Amino acid sequence: MKLLGTARLALNRIWATKVRSLLTMLGVVIGVAAIVALTSIVDGASQGINKSLATLGTNQLNITAMAPDALSEQDAYALADLDGVSVMFVQTQNEGTIATEDKRVNARLVGVSAEYFEAVKPDIALGSYLSDSKFASSAKDVVFGADAANDLGLTASMLGQSVKLNGQDFRLVGVLDDQAGFGTSGRVYVTLDSARKLFSQYPYVSSIVVQAETPEAVDALQLATDKLLRERYGLGTETDARYTITNQASLIAAVSSITDTLGLLLTGIAGISLVVGGIGIMNIMLVSVRERTREIGVRRAIGAKQSNILTQFLIEAIVLSLAGGVVGLILGEIAAYFLAIIGDWVFSIQLETVLLALGFSLVVGVVFGVWPARTAAKLEPIDALRFE
Amino acid sequence: MANPVVELENVRREYLVGDQVTVALDGVDLVIERGEFVAIVGPSGSGKSTMMNLIGCLDRPSSGVVKIASDPTSELNDNQLTSLRSKAIGFVFQQFQLLPNTTAIENVMAPLLYQGVSSKQAKLTATEILNRLGLGERLNFDRNRLSGGQQQRVAIARALVASPDIVLADEPTGALDSKTGAQVIDLLKELNKEGRTIILITHDLEIAASAPRRVFLRDGLIERDERGAK
Ligand SMILES: Nc1ncnc2c1ncn2[C@@H]1O[C@H](COP(=O)(O)OP(=O)(O)OP(=O)(O)O)[C@@H](O)[C@H]1O
Ligand SMILES: [Mg+2]
Repeated sequence: MKLLGTARLALNRIWATKVRSLLTMLGVVIGVAAIVALTSIVDGASQGINKSLATLGTNQLNITAMAPDALSEQDAYALADLDGVSVMFVQTQNEGTIATEDKRVNARLVGVSAEYFEAVKPDIALGSYLSDSKFASSAKDVVFGADAANDLGLTASMLGQSVKLNGQDFRLVGVLDDQAGFGTSGRVYVTLDSARKLFSQYPYVSSIVVQAETPEAVDALQLATDKLLRERYGLGTETDARYTITNQASLIAAVSSITDTLGLLLTGIAGISLVVGGIGIMNIMLVSVRERTREIGVRRAIGAKQSNILTQFLIEAIVLSLAGGVVGLILGEIAAYFLAIIGDWVFSIQLETVLLALGFSLVVGVVFGVWPARTAAKLEPIDALRFE
Repeated sequence: MANPVVELENVRREYLVGDQVTVALDGVDLVIERGEFVAIVGPSGSGKSTMMNLIGCLDRPSSGVVKIASDPTSELNDNQLTSLRSKAIGFVFQQFQLLPNTTAIENVMAPLLYQGVSSKQAKLTATEILNRLGLGERLNFDRNRLSGGQQQRVAIARALVASPDIVLADEPTGALDSKTGAQVIDLLKELNKEGRTIILITHDLEIAASAPRRVFLRDGLIERDERGAK
């Protein structure tokens, strides 16, 4: 019999037992839908994380002091003179308190040099930055991160009003947007000079950021930075815990490798439900082979070869699994669409996901269909005909 | 007459159930010529179906030789047996055994499709034979909508469609009333007149008596082999 004829037999049978076929598919439907939906969550989430990491600038190097007195402003000025540095700014930070007339909470106070806002350009919700032109005169001005402002219950009407940082009076000039970028939210920004007075750390700084002229120049700049700092502190080539240099690009790579792993894990879990779905198909197919033993016997008697029987049952399993995969794909994409609305990321149907879903369900159909199909094909015609 | 289509030479068939051996056929010799109409008769358990299954290549003997159209079958593998069955033998079963969820015409087409005949050609041949058996109006009925007699006629059409040398009918009237049963026997006789070899298993002595040759089985042995009208 031609393959097409055998396929028709399989389809007829699936159609003749519609309800049962649907129930048999259910496991694969759920498995594939779960994989599709989870993949889209992971994709969406990493889109979001990458976006906020990108606000930090991919051509920046962060040199973080590993001890309070590990890096100084002089180091920063020396680094600014390196070839290929377009911008340099320093940050110094400490825990402190912020207070209004009637509220007082803890926050991270950050002193930044004038170039910070120019280089990072965090989105601002209210007011303005500690702007460059005003920096000299901004000695008593403060900009709040979104969460810090929330904690203290600041509103637009408070702009220009006085808030207390570690008990000293400052003037609120701006509040950053809650999407302003990675790590800005809980912080309170003042000028470097103010910070020196607030925590008397001078001349030490918590971190130095240097920005290369182009993203391609970052790696070379990282080597030059390390060399310079080692020279200044007389360090050998051995690793030293005085400071760490983080490259934003490598940070993004690290984060996406984490989200990739997470994605793999979630897909793995969903994959287990797909395997369970496959076992469901195998189970029903084995029952079906038993129920249809007589039919198999009659077919063998009227000229069906073992291979005809094998193909018929295998196609049946594959069609069930593939149909489950298609339904699961549709349901999964619908779920992904709504998740994208909720999670505020871009919904798109990835060709990769479609192929993955269909490929997996095909493999499940073959793997879990082979055993029942072989069982059917190996029945002795005479035993099959006698079967009650 | 020297054109044997079935030859059994000292055929034994034993069944082992647990550690108990049942001898279903105990060394049987039988030759059936092309174009014969043979009734195989015997009490229940005498080995009729066992013999039928061996002739039909659905089963293999424990010892002895089964030849179909002078070719021994013992050397054939499963695929070769299947294709021999498909070309040389048509089966009619007591319980009709039409395929489930399958119309009359699809049942009759199936043997041709398994031979690799195109579905268009198979449809033509099947329609022709069903028309001949008076089922032209019921081509697209499935077995749930056919009477017992109609189902058995579809089964006979299915057994004939590939023009086999031999038609094996195991109690074809067993599930039918006597009138419909008689019609089925008449049909088989008519086919025999056209030159087909018919082997009919029955426990109905009246039906057996109308066959030109009667083979009586008892306890796995041929008790009598009669020819001619009785
Ligand atoms: N698969 C089997 N396993 C074990 N014993 C079997 C098997 N098939 C047949 N037998 C035994 O072989 C003997 C002959 O059986 P067979 O079916 O050939 O009888 P029969 O003449 O067709 O009887 P009936 O008229 O009742 O159909 C019986 O004793 C039966 O119990
Ligand atoms: Mg019997």
